Amino acid sequence: MAIYSVGRKRIMLALLLTSALLLTLDLRGNPAINAAREGFGVVLDPVESATGVVTNPLERMWHGITNYDDLERDNLALQEQVDRLIGTQAAAEAAVIEGKELQALYSLPSLSGIETEVARVVGYAANNLDQVIEINKGSSSGIAVGMPVVNQAGLVGKVTQVSATSARVMLVSDARYTVAVKVTSSDQAALDTPTNTSPSGLDPDGVVAAATTTTAQSTTLPPAVVPGLTLPNGLPVPDTTLPGSGADLSELIDPETGRLLTEEEVRDLAAALAEEPADSVADAITEEIETPSASAATESSTTTTTIPVIEKEYGALEGRGRLRLPQIKFLQDNPSLAELQVGDLVETAGGSTSNAPTGIPVGRVANRADRAGSGGPLLDVELNADLARLNFVRVVLYKPLAEVGQ
Amino acid sequence: MFAAFVQGPLIRVIPVGIILLALQRTIFVEIQIDGVIIQVMMATAAAAGVAGGSERGALVGFVFGVMFDLAEGTPLGSTATAMTVAGIVGGLLALIAADPQWWFAAIFTGLGTAAGALMIPVVRVFVGEPEPFQDRLAVVVPIVAVAGALMSPLLVPLARWCLRMKRPEWTQPINDPSM
Repeated sequence: MAIYSVGRKRIMLALLLTSALLLTLDLRGNPAINAAREGFGVVLDPVESATGVVTNPLERMWHGITNYDDLERDNLALQEQVDRLIGTQAAAEAAVIEGKELQALYSLPSLSGIETEVARVVGYAANNLDQVIEINKGSSSGIAVGMPVVNQAGLVGKVTQVSATSARVMLVSDARYTVAVKVTSSDQAALDTPTNTSPSGLDPDGVVAAATTTTAQSTTLPPAVVPGLTLPNGLPVPDTTLPGSGADLSELIDPETGRLLTEEEVRDLAAALAEEPADSVADAITEEIETPSASAATESSTTTTTIPVIEKEYGALEGRGRLRLPQIKFLQDNPSLAELQVGDLVETAGGSTSNAPTGIPVGRVANRADRAGSGGPLLDVELNADLARLNFVRVVLYKPLAEVGQ
Repeated sequence: MFAAFVQGPLIRVIPVGIILLALQRTIFVEIQIDGVIIQVMMATAAAAGVAGGSERGALVGFVFGVMFDLAEGTPLGSTATAMTVAGIVGGLLALIAADPQWWFAAIFTGLGTAAGALMIPVVRVFVGEPEPFQDRLAVVVPIVAVAGALMSPLLVPLARWCLRMKRPEWTQPINDPSM
């Protein structure tokens, strides 16, 4: 008996050709295949749930064996981080207030005005190539393909497939992911080290406004705002559940006189700003506004934050797969502004056709690689969000301006 | 046709595939070795090839691959191709020994799994995906292969049951009057 006959060869060839045919049909978009996917999901769901319940003890045992040392180390690091955050949260609060106010003055779109949908991560990709998660909300919750997904730290990914009750999210680290971003500089040291000033907000050396405040970069916040924590003086820390959003500013103060601006003065200032070009607006704000960190103030001192922000360059952020940092391409140094460097902030650029609104924090530049010729530098980006430990995420129910009304 | 289906291997392969897929998407996503997800379905396809030959391995790999693609949202046929190749390679290697020892079968299963794991980026290249070949493949493939080999003492009998096969009896009957 022939062990390896021509007939057997044909079977194998037929199966491989069928695979290729299915691949072609799927890539061209076939409703029957989509329906088959939905149907198979319905069949698999209860089996998967039951399997999850049965194997849960094994999973925990495995994590107990493999992650114990890491957890202990993480716990210590987090405790240290919490201690540091308590020391810097006042500065963070001031930055939130400033960012929020300036966004309002500029009338820029921000996440604070966009509805979101909280979803739980229920699954990860089961292969070693794709960086995809599955969430437990779908089209019945208003989620559509293309919508950005964030967590408290920043951008996580975008929705790529939607069913009625679930959706798949391609993570930023996936090799197929691309998003328009802008690179900005920020003086991180100013955030890390709160500065004590006089109650009016004036710097003791008299140097006040030159380095004061920011543009609409509430996104430059470090993850220093911890929900549930309180300030050393007992005041609650503002809840910034969305990156790029913050608490409302209720008061503005004149840095020269130290008095509160009236509503009329604020309106006049806003009107003046609206008539001026963006650069001069920033200067005007720099000179005119000093934002008090009223809620964090103590009797003897006020904490202010100085975050000079410069938008340096726009580029395309592309994922590069698991354990590899995403990279920004299509960049050039702009000598008139500043050189792109390690530590620069990265956030979404927005735009009328972009699926992500402007101002979602993405991460920080971790490495810079210069290329010969006109290629421009490549920037590796350390993401703010820890994509390996996603539990709850928010889907930003955002539609690009180009698609609104369609 | 119905009788052929009931008496054929698919009646067992499909439910076993669903259970393996559920395991793949739950516990095997959590139990990672150096960040690598063990491909139990790929290993089972290779084990089916070792147990039942190339064509049966290809059949099991194809069915498992289609199920995997349907559940994972990957291009339909991409993983099916890779798992079919895993089954074929497992079966071809098994031709070396007529009734391989368990450790021999483990090596064949591991190699078949490695071939399947290598095929995934190859297929993704044809699909037009950017940079499917990454340095990390050098870590992924050996771990997936070794895990497949270690699981083969369980997977080969499972595949044999799915394919309705019994172990070949090579011993000569003692009470054979012709002797």
